[in-house]
Amino acid sequence: MQMIKNLQVKEEVYIEKLENGLTVMVIPKKETLKKYVIWGTNFGSIDNHFLLKPENEEVQIPDGVAHFLEHKLFEQENGTNSLDVLSSLGVDANAYTTNDHTAYLFEANSNFYEALDELMNYVQNPYFTDENVEKEKGIIGQEINMYEDDPEWQVYMNAMKLMYKVNPINIDIAGSIESISKIDKEVLYKAYHNFYDLSNMLLVVCGDFKPEEILEEVKKRITKTSQVGEVQRIYETEPEEIVEKEKTVNMEVSMPIYAIGFKDKPEENKVKKCIAVQILLYLLLGKSSEGYQTLYNNGDIIGQPSLDYEFSKQYSHVLISGGARNPQKIVEMLKTQIQKFKKSGLNEDDFERVKKKIYGDYISEYGEVGNIARMFLSDYFKGINSFDYLEQYRTVTKEYAQQVLNDVFDENKMVVSIVKGKE
Amino acid sequence: MECQKIQLKEGINLHVIPTNKFKTNLLSIFLTLPLNKENVTKEALISAILRRGSTNYPTAKDLSIALENMYGASFDCGIEKMGDTHVLKFYLETINEEFLPNSQDMLKMAIDMLCDIVFSPLVENGGFKNEYVTMEKENLKQIIEGKIDNKGRYALDRCIEEMYKNKPYGLYKYGYVEDLENMTAQDLYKAYLQIIETAKIDMFISGKLDATKVQQEVQNQQHLQVQKARTANVIQNEAVEMRDTPQEMIEEMEIMQGKLVIGLTVETNTPEEKYVALLYNTILGGGANSKLFQNVREKASLAYTAGSNYLRQKNNIFIRLGIEIKNYQKAQDIIKKQLEDMKNGVFSNEDFENAKTSILATIDFIPDEQDTQISYYFGQELSNEFVNLEEYKKKIQEITKEQVVEIANKINIHTIYFLKDLTKGGEA
Repeated sequence: MQMIKNLQVKEEVYIEKLENGLTVMVIPKKETLKKYVIWGTNFGSIDNHFLLKPENEEVQIPDGVAHFLEHKLFEQENGTNSLDVLSSLGVDANAYTTNDHTAYLFEANSNFYEALDELMNYVQNPYFTDENVEKEKGIIGQEINMYEDDPEWQVYMNAMKLMYKVNPINIDIAGSIESISKIDKEVLYKAYHNFYDLSNMLLVVCGDFKPEEILEEVKKRITKTSQVGEVQRIYETEPEEIVEKEKTVNMEVSMPIYAIGFKDKPEENKVKKCIAVQILLYLLLGKSSEGYQTLYNNGDIIGQPSLDYEFSKQYSHVLISGGARNPQKIVEMLKTQIQKFKKSGLNEDDFERVKKKIYGDYISEYGEVGNIARMFLSDYFKGINSFDYLEQYRTVTKEYAQQVLNDVFDENKMVVSIVKGKE
Repeated sequence: MECQKIQLKEGINLHVIPTNKFKTNLLSIFLTLPLNKENVTKEALISAILRRGSTNYPTAKDLSIALENMYGASFDCGIEKMGDTHVLKFYLETINEEFLPNSQDMLKMAIDMLCDIVFSPLVENGGFKNEYVTMEKENLKQIIEGKIDNKGRYALDRCIEEMYKNKPYGLYKYGYVEDLENMTAQDLYKAYLQIIETAKIDMFISGKLDATKVQQEVQNQQHLQVQKARTANVIQNEAVEMRDTPQEMIEEMEIMQGKLVIGLTVETNTPEEKYVALLYNTILGGGANSKLFQNVREKASLAYTAGSNYLRQKNNIFIRLGIEIKNYQKAQDIIKKQLEDMKNGVFSNEDFENAKTSILATIDFIPDEQDTQISYYFGQELSNEFVNLEEYKKKIQEITKEQVVEIANKINIHTIYFLKDLTKGGEA
C-alpha cells in the first residue's frame, strides 16, 4: 500500500487501488475504540445525464434517483433490510447522498467484521421490486416535505437557482414529489449498474487497524469486479454568468435569513485556492473583521455568518449565509469591504493571524474517526487528498490571496437569496 | 483513565480528563442554578453579556483576535435546561501544544482566558456596560422569538410546556420577552454577583495533559482563588403529575408537514429503574429496528422521521414524528398499538438483545468524543450518582425482559401535541 504521512497533524493514510477497480484508504487511529467504515460512489444528484454502458446509449434519469437508490439499497432479496441487520449488530449505520457522491457507512466497536460482511454485501447486491419502490415514495415524500418547511434549505436552494442555469446543483437532492413519481425499478438498476462500478467507488476505514490486515478483510468481501469502467457523464456547459441577482420568499421565520453566493469556475486542483478563499472570507466577515464588527456593534448581525467555499469537479461557488434583521446591510457591507480590499490591499497582520486560525481549524478536523473518514471520502471525489490542505497551507501568500480576491469576489457574479417572515 | 474530580472549595470542583485521543484540549465552566421563572430570563441575558467583554478582552473584537492568534481557538457559551436546573455553559477549545508550529503554553492561556470571561466581566459605573446590555437584550429577544424557526424542535418544546405548565421544567431556557424590559445594567450586574457567589461551579478540562500540572494551574488561577465556598446542593427534580387520560393539544402554523410529539410519563421509584426505562425506549423508538421506525415508517410509510428519546432527569419519553397532516389519527393508532404491545411483552428476544447491544456501543463511544465525555461526567455530578462506564454497561447487561415489561406497565401517555397546517375554511 502507498503510505502518505503528514507531519503537522501526525497522521498517516494508506492507499491501494485494487485489481478489481476499487480504491481503499486506511487511516489508522490508535487509542480509539470506535471503528468507522464508509463506502462511497461518485454518483450524486447532479449525475442525471450519462452514457449507459455497454451500448453507450444516452440516458436522462428523473431528479432524485441517486438519493432514491440510497434508500432502496438496504432492501435484500431474502426480505431483510440491511439497516435493521446492522442495527441488530449494535452498530450505528447510515447512508447519505450529496451533489456528487452517495455513501454507506457504519461505526462499530464489537461485531465490526460481521457488520462489514453486511455492508459490503448489500452495497454489491441491489434488490429492487415494483412493490418496494412504490412503498418508498411515501417515505421520501415526507422527507421532501420536511425540507419544504426548512427555511435554511430553501434559502440555500434558491441561491443555487440564482447562480446556476443548467448545472443540476440547482435541483433538490431528493428531487420533487413529481420527479420521484417517475422512478421505477428499471431506472434504479440502470443507475446502479453504471455508477456502482468498483472503479467509480472508494472505501475508507478509520480506527485502530493494521492497514494490510484490514485491506485483506475488504478484499475477501468483494464479490464483483469492475464491469463498465469509467462512467461517461454529460453535463451541459454552464455559462459563467449568473441567472438572476436576487430572490426573496416568505416563510414562517422570526428573522430573515440570507445566502449570498459568488459563482466561480470549476477548475483542477482547488486546494490552494480554497485555502485562500477561506482566509479571505474571514478577513471580509469573520468575527475579528472590521466588516463583522461594524455590523455587530450596530446590532445588524447576531452571529458570524457561515463562510463556505463549495465545489466539486462540476461547480464552484462561495456561500455566505446566516440570519440578520436586514440582510441588505450584510450585502452592502460585504460589497464595501471587497472594494476596500481590492483598492488598498490586504493587511499583513490580519492576513497572518487569520492564516494561523485556518491552520488550527484544519488540525481540529482530525479528532473523531467518522469526521476523518468522511472528509477523506468527500475530498477524494473532488480529486483531493485531505492532507493537501495542510501541505499547501504554507504556499498561500498575501499576494496570491489578493489575486484570488480580484478573481472570485466579483459583484457581477454575486447573488442574494433571502427568506423572510410573512408581513 | 477516567475523570478525576478535585474539590477546590465546597461547591467548586475541577474535573480533569486526561486523554490521548484528540488533537484538541477542551475546557469548560458550568454554573448551575435552580430553574425558576423569576431568574430564567436574567440568567440567559447575563450569559450573553459575559461573552461581550471582560477585563482583559473588553470588546468582542479583542476576544476574536486573541482566539485567532491562539491558532483558531474557539469560544462558545450557551444555556441549558438540565432537569430542574439552569446551567450556564462556557467552552474553550484549543489545539494541543503538540500540533503547534512553535511551542507555547496554550493550556495556561486557555485557562486564564476562560476564567477571565466568566469571573471578570467588564464593569462600568457599578454595572455591565450599557451598550452591551441594550444590544444583548435585542439579540435575546430575537432568539426567543426564533423558537418557531425549527418546527420539529418547536413542537417538542410546546409539548414539554404543556406537560409542565407552571412548573420549572416548563420554562423556556432563554426566558421571556416581557421579562427583558425592565432590567438595568446595574440590576443585572448585581444578579451576576449573586450567581457567581451561589452557583455550583464545575470546571472540566479534557485533553492530552498532565493532570497534576493542570490542577496546579487551576488552583493558582487568580479569579478562581478568590471565589468563596458555597453550599451547592443537588437539586431534586420535580416529577410531572400522572394523568389517567392524556391531554391533547393541536396548534396551527403555515407548514407542509405535521409534527406529532407524544410525551410519556414513566413511574419509577428507584434509580435502577431508569436503566430499564432507557432500554425500553431503545426498543420502542431508539433506532432503525425500533418498533416505531419499523411500524410507522417502514411498514406504513407514514413518516421519514420516527423515533423517541428518554429524558433521564425528568423520567419522560418523547415520541417524535414528522407526518402528512391527514395521517394524524392513523399515526396515533399505530403508536398506541406499539405501547400496548410493549405492555404485553410483544417484542422479540432479538429486539431486546439488539437494544442492549446498541446501548452498550453508545457507552463504549463516550470517551471517543470530547464533549460527550464531559457531558456524561457532568450529568453524574448533577444527579450525584457516580457510575463508571464499566458499571454502567453491567447495569444494562443485567436487565431482564420481565423488567422491561414491568416498566412498560408504568408508562402512560400524558400529552399529545400536534402542529398542523392552517385550517382553511374552518374544517379541522
